[in-house]
Amino acid sequence: MKMRCCFQRSFCSASSSLVPVQLPSPMETHFWYVLPDQVKSVSLLNQYMGLLSPIEKENVLSMPGHQLQKRALLARALVRTTIARYQINGHVDPRSLKFKKNIHGKPEVVWQSEDGWCQPHLHFNISHSSSMIACGVTSNSRIGIDVEEKQRKIKNNILAFARRYFSLHEIEYLSSISDSEVQHQEFIKLWTLKEAYVKALGKGFSAAPFKTFTIHVKTDYKRSFVLAEDLLFEASEIMVESLNDPKSLTSSWQFALLELVGSHYAAICMEKDKSIKVGMKVPVRLTAWKTIPFVEDECVSGTDAVIPIGGLIKL
Amino acid sequence: MASVSASCLRFHPLLLHSNQPAQGSFKLVSVSWPKSWFPSLKATRFRVSCAAKPETVQKVCDIVRKQLVLSPETLLTPETKFSELGADSLDTVEIVMGLEEEFNISVEEDSSQNITTVKEAADLIEKLVQKKAEAGA
Repeated sequence: MKMRCCFQRSFCSASSSLVPVQLPSPMETHFWYVLPDQVKSVSLLNQYMGLLSPIEKENVLSMPGHQLQKRALLARALVRTTIARYQINGHVDPRSLKFKKNIHGKPEVVWQSEDGWCQPHLHFNISHSSSMIACGVTSNSRIGIDVEEKQRKIKNNILAFARRYFSLHEIEYLSSISDSEVQHQEFIKLWTLKEAYVKALGKGFSAAPFKTFTIHVKTDYKRSFVLAEDLLFEASEIMVESLNDPKSLTSSWQFALLELVGSHYAAICMEKDKSIKVGMKVPVRLTAWKTIPFVEDECVSGTDAVIPIGGLIKL
Repeated sequence: MASVSASCLRFHPLLLHSNQPAQGSFKLVSVSWPKSWFPSLKATRFRVSCAAKPETVQKVCDIVRKQLVLSPETLLTPETKFSELGADSLDTVEIVMGLEEEFNISVEEDSSQNITTVKEAADLIEKLVQKKAEAGA
């Protein structure tokens, strides 16, 4: 079985450029993540700081405490360096990227069109927990991601929380789980899926309050098999149903749920390519990298670091 | 006419002179007032007094501190944004739930998105508590 990607360990000096990457193809998600605990070099952190805009720097430095500052810094550095890798017309300096928020507050890249050529429809979304920062990238397809620590403590009672914020179907599902640890895990998974969906919509939470949509997970089968040269995981079918608008608009969204480095759940929600007919089951093609920008990129899809646990995923 | 009280500064501009330069740091409105009794304000931002009671603000702070597991040294002011303390959306939702339980109120989902600081939480709580009291009366 041939893996589509290979390990790229490029131990470069701190001033070297980023390894460029081809744009994702339709129905493909690129998933980049950095583990803050692995980034210790002060000179590297300073180099990241040098990539940021003045406002971003200010935001980073206004965080209370070193850990939060480092997290905020790595988040901005990850976004800038990741997008810069997709050089479409020559070298892109991560420093030069400009960002704006759409009218609902979702961050987007402002592409500077110098000679009027068609800008790449690159979409991205970031998420972080206290021990991981992730960035998902697609071409021509809205994307939302969410990462959460599996062991994240919920201060409130899980069912009370679900009754307050989740849909009826989801409450019933969680209530039916007797093992509290499993219930906790399923809660976190549901949360990440719901969060990823709302972030993908990009309209802010008020456009899709959690109670107004249900995530359905059909787990009557779980199999993985080889199709040509790809590894295909069919862990379950994940669908979203809008309670306000039960029309098939929600069938234009595709989900993938992953377990990352044994410690995190990551949910990816992306818009199906327009060319795909309604009802057609098309897998999300996923390529994942663990990165320390400027230092090391490791393609981890197909390893134990990235385990598909939900959705239809092709590695 | 501006008045200065012991605890807050209320700003009610009544006179607008477009040809008069703004006093020091007041960038938005030009007003004229006698210099004799008005103290000079050097701050570049003046803070509107928090409409909520201090006890409410304190309770909100306690709930936020508990949810975000803040160290005692971490500064938490009414204006501090939760996101600046490292809170993510799950934290914010848990904070709102904690506030609902503490104050026995119900926050509309779209309102809960507008709670990004202690001040916003405290103001909304007071509003809801008052509404509830009026409805019950």
